[in-house]
Amino acid sequence: MKKATRVRVNMNFDLKKLLDEKILLFDGGMGTMLIGAGLRENEIPESWIYSRREELFDIHIKYIEAGADVIQTNTFGASGIKLSSSRAGAMLDPEETNRRGAAIARGALERFKDRDLLVAGDIGPTGRFFPPVGNLREDDARNSFMQQARALDQGGADFFLIETMSDLREAVEALRGAKEASEKPVVVELTFDKKPKGYFTLMGNTLREAAETLEREGADMIGANCTLSSNSMIGLARELRAQTDMPLLFQPNAGQPVLTDGKTHYTQSPEDFAEDIGKIAREGADAVGGCCGTTPEFIRMIREKLEELEK
Amino acid sequence: MMQFYEKCRKAVIEGDSDLALKLATEAIDKNKPVLDVIEKGFVKGIEEVGRLWEDGTFFLPELVMGAEAVKKALSLLNPILSDQQTKGFEKGKVVIGTVEGDIHDIGKTLVATMLSASGFEVYDLGYDVGVDSFIEGADKWGVNCIASSALLTTTMQKQRGIIEKLKEQGIRNKYTVIVGGAPCSRKWADEIGADGYAKDAVSAVALVGKLISGD
Repeated sequence: MKKATRVRVNMNFDLKKLLDEKILLFDGGMGTMLIGAGLRENEIPESWIYSRREELFDIHIKYIEAGADVIQTNTFGASGIKLSSSRAGAMLDPEETNRRGAAIARGALERFKDRDLLVAGDIGPTGRFFPPVGNLREDDARNSFMQQARALDQGGADFFLIETMSDLREAVEALRGAKEASEKPVVVELTFDKKPKGYFTLMGNTLREAAETLEREGADMIGANCTLSSNSMIGLARELRAQTDMPLLFQPNAGQPVLTDGKTHYTQSPEDFAEDIGKIAREGADAVGGCCGTTPEFIRMIREKLEELEK
Repeated sequence: MMQFYEKCRKAVIEGDSDLALKLATEAIDKNKPVLDVIEKGFVKGIEEVGRLWEDGTFFLPELVMGAEAVKKALSLLNPILSDQQTKGFEKGKVVIGTVEGDIHDIGKTLVATMLSASGFEVYDLGYDVGVDSFIEGADKWGVNCIASSALLTTTMQKQRGIIEKLKEQGIRNKYTVIVGGAPCSRKWADEIGADGYAKDAVSAVALVGKLISGD
């Protein structure tokens, strides 16, 4: 386990050095919080960057107050390709959306000058596939991600977080695009499912293939998020650690979404989740956080758990 | 003959659309029993692809390529069957879509692909489909089954909406209604009064088969 030490983060921070000093705590679910704050079914999350700026700002604040070191911008679906795939998204300018999304997160940090906080410029999948599954072209994907990363950079992101990728090829195009756009660090998370023969992406990529490829392509940290609940992520963390010495990040889901009396809740409690995150940390994680279904309450419990572990 | 069926089966497992098309042409040219070629050859292939998907040997690319190979073969063979007025292969008609407010359509498209590769006539309405469009489509094409997908707990209420609307119009019993998508479950299907739930594309094929053609 690493010792907790105070580190000062500046514009050109050294992610590797930071990760050597402590386990970095990322925030939790964004969609979960937006729905809780009243996101309607015909709205896309990114529209709140314009229409409900205050509420979005408050979500970032709540995660920082809960103890997150890193907050993720509300730009998961803000690549040009993804935005253009929906009516609501096509109305938003990709560059403006990413710039503003990053600026809102940056603004939230201003309230906590005594803390070392970072903004992760969030980049999600295009929602489309390369052949033979779909007809997405590699250079189109890369350009779309490059445009997104450049705007996130301009808006004040400290580094890029490419996440929930179910195709290693798309993750690589996003990584290349981000590197073309900026010299800031790039973190890449794929999403794996547990199959009888091990952990695989939807496309069949293995942990080993992912680790080797992303290291070769120059990722600064790699990891897994979404799909798996925290208890299933423990085994994945162990196997991925056995494959690589790279810094690792894990952000599981809070179990599965269940609708009861018209309200969504997830099957895992913050307590159980934090307990599992503690185990993931012991397996050699360098950074942790939450994905779907996790809230500031989860992050608060994880922060307590990490402090316990550091003692 | 078994050897020929085996070739057809293999072409699907290997995801070889060109070979599947070639074999379908050969079947027609040589007057082979078309229904058997489909059922003992191509469909056996897609069933095997489904099995390999479930046990984690095959992934999305292999599933899609296998389904495409069957669809290519069927595009030639199905018209012959209807010319011969052969009954027996057409398993039923399904209208499918992702509900209104929801743009997640990867899983839904996969279900549509596997259903049509397995012999169902599928009408895919795409994503962000309103309740009325499902019902109008079902009526227009005279389907047996209405299948809806929802990936969000906020949009899954629309699946209930489809059933309520059918009841309102007094035509609930006219259709088999099934649901799918990440937040759905057997319990959800029961709660809203749907006829079934499937967790993925492979089990959706089995479910629709069981519900509408008694397979």
